[in-house]
Amino acid sequence: MNLEKVVFAFFIILAVSLNFGFYTGDLSDPSHHHPYELFAALVVSLICTVMKFGDRTQFGSTVLASSLVVDLLLIAAAVIWGVATQSGQPVSPETMASITSLAGGALIANLLSVILLIIETSQVRK
Amino acid sequence: MSDIFFLILRRMRVPLILLISVYAIATLGMTLIPGVTPDGEPWHMSFFHAFYFVSFMGTTIGFGEIPYEFTDTQRAWVLVCIYTSVISWLYGIGNLLRLVQDDTFRNAVAERAFRLNIKRIDLPFYIICGYGETGQLITRGLVELNIQTIIIDHDPERTSSLELENLTLAPIVLNADITEAQNLITAGLNHEKCRGVIAVTENDHTNLKIAVASKLVNPGVPVICRSEIQDEADNMASFGTDAIINPYLTFGRRLSLLTQNPALYRIQNWFINQHSAEHIHQRVTQSGLPSGKWIICGYGRFGKAVEHFIRNDVNDIVVVEADPEGKNAPDTAVIGRGTEAKTLREAGIEDASVIVAASDDDANNLSILITAQQLNKEIYTIGRVSSEANHMLFVRARCDYIMRRSQVVANETLTVISRPLVTRFIQYSSSLTRTATEELIKDICLLTDNEAPVTWRLVIDEKQAPALVRLLRNDGSLTVGDVCSNKSLHREASIPLLLLRGGMSHLLPDSEAPLFENDELLLCGRRGRQLLAQKLIYNNELVDTMINNNRHHIPLLRWLHRRKSS
Repeated sequence: MNLEKVVFAFFIILAVSLNFGFYTGDLSDPSHHHPYELFAALVVSLICTVMKFGDRTQFGSTVLASSLVVDLLLIAAAVIWGVATQSGQPVSPETMASITSLAGGALIANLLSVILLIIETSQVRK
Repeated sequence: MSDIFFLILRRMRVPLILLISVYAIATLGMTLIPGVTPDGEPWHMSFFHAFYFVSFMGTTIGFGEIPYEFTDTQRAWVLVCIYTSVISWLYGIGNLLRLVQDDTFRNAVAERAFRLNIKRIDLPFYIICGYGETGQLITRGLVELNIQTIIIDHDPERTSSLELENLTLAPIVLNADITEAQNLITAGLNHEKCRGVIAVTENDHTNLKIAVASKLVNPGVPVICRSEIQDEADNMASFGTDAIINPYLTFGRRLSLLTQNPALYRIQNWFINQHSAEHIHQRVTQSGLPSGKWIICGYGRFGKAVEHFIRNDVNDIVVVEADPEGKNAPDTAVIGRGTEAKTLREAGIEDASVIVAASDDDANNLSILITAQQLNKEIYTIGRVSSEANHMLFVRARCDYIMRRSQVVANETLTVISRPLVTRFIQYSSSLTRTATEELIKDICLLTDNEAPVTWRLVIDEKQAPALVRLLRNDGSLTVGDVCSNKSLHREASIPLLLLRGGMSHLLPDSEAPLFENDELLLCGRRGRQLLAQKLIYNNELVDTMINNNRHHIPLLRWLHRRKSS
């Protein structure tokens, strides 16, 4: 067993779980989507990205690319949230819908990372 | 590029993850810890404000406590965050600096620079393996010929002197193990501009390895090898090494020539040693070496080569060797090093005419030469110098002919590369008789006012001599005499040395001999002047005037005449 692989798989799956946790619920209802969950998903996804740095295999680069997509979408979502709430007012349902749909896009990319991880694992022969 | 980029990313993984974690925890803490507004209302920092605050705190810029003044709990948390973030920054930057100094990283950067340089080459180039004294001389010679060089040597100390040499065409250097074929490929063996590989390391076996590798990787690229051991040379020849240069045999051949036919030596010397002149005394070049009694001190590879070549030209050879059995010396050999007067007297120095100091130790050779000169004032001295630094001492010791291994190899290599016809000429010229040679040398001296001539190769094809090809295609006739001399341009005249037609060489072609397309002609003429042949190759009008005798004075009439004839 390789500790590095365990940590990497842990972060990838954690990223997808957190992302799903944030995404699930009514699309435009702010009370279904907690900002802390978005924050956690973003941080874990950033760590995932850095962990895949320097891997020159084809799988490694595809996973890196998909996790860069996740970063991009989640950062966009966080920025929208920050701009929408800058003067202290609550998030409007329209803004919430766009934030959640961005997170939904990130979820797809995150799922792709997990699928790639599973394929890579299944190819390892004893 | 990607190699270096990925290397940096890989090494920076831990510091980056640390930084992200520290920032995330600090931001999270700032949003969780409750604050108080100036009105006394409880208040929580938003993520936006928390990230803004952590960003300037982490980089120790510090814009103050915003948007409201902090509570003590918040300040305690900020205190923790300041120290952790500063430490993680220091760790990250320290890691980056260490990476820049890392050998792996530096090698990756150097290799990338090398690859880029190779990719950008647009001049024909040679790969030189081994940058010793020989490599240095060859590099300089090739740069003079405007040929790019790529040098592979494992020792960075040797190649670092190149930076100070200030060559007009800076060689590209790769510090790597030459015996690995991969490095030859990295150096551009498969590049379309690669004109050849020159293996001139100190070690024969390494040269052999280079030759094998180059011939296997790219059989079309010529390989020139230095070899001092006959077995290795035979081995090299067996798989088609294009030129094998043995400095001892080459020098031995020159000594033999100097005793037999000094005039021919003089001609060869002019043509071969165009890049760096050998140190040879005037009296030797003028009248050659006497064929009386020769003493050879030291019966190593050089001594053996000398003895082999002069055996038939000389009346008597005495070998002086400290270890006659180990070196397989003849039975008549005198035992000793030759550095003492006693040994030299025993060898009969008083009535000897030439002494060759052939040991591989410079100090011993100097001692032999000086002792010999004291015992016999008239003796001709030939010394072998191993280290370039001692050359000056041999000159001071009034040595008549100095054998510098590296120079012999370098000049020979440069001749093979840049003047293939000269190599052919030298090969065939040994068949010239003594009188024919003296005749030729008289002609050359008359042409150049006793100075060393230059050689030039005329190739009659569409690319290199369009004007001459046009003349030939218009049913004009061209003779060797036409391109070599003309009554009105006598200072630009040249002497034809060799005519190459369809792989057949004709030595000293007659001036009436006709020239055809694809012929190659080796000419020699006055230094520093454009030869008539060089003027003719591109100039249609000059060809018309000089060879077709279209000698109207008025340009218009000349033009009309030319139109009519073509």
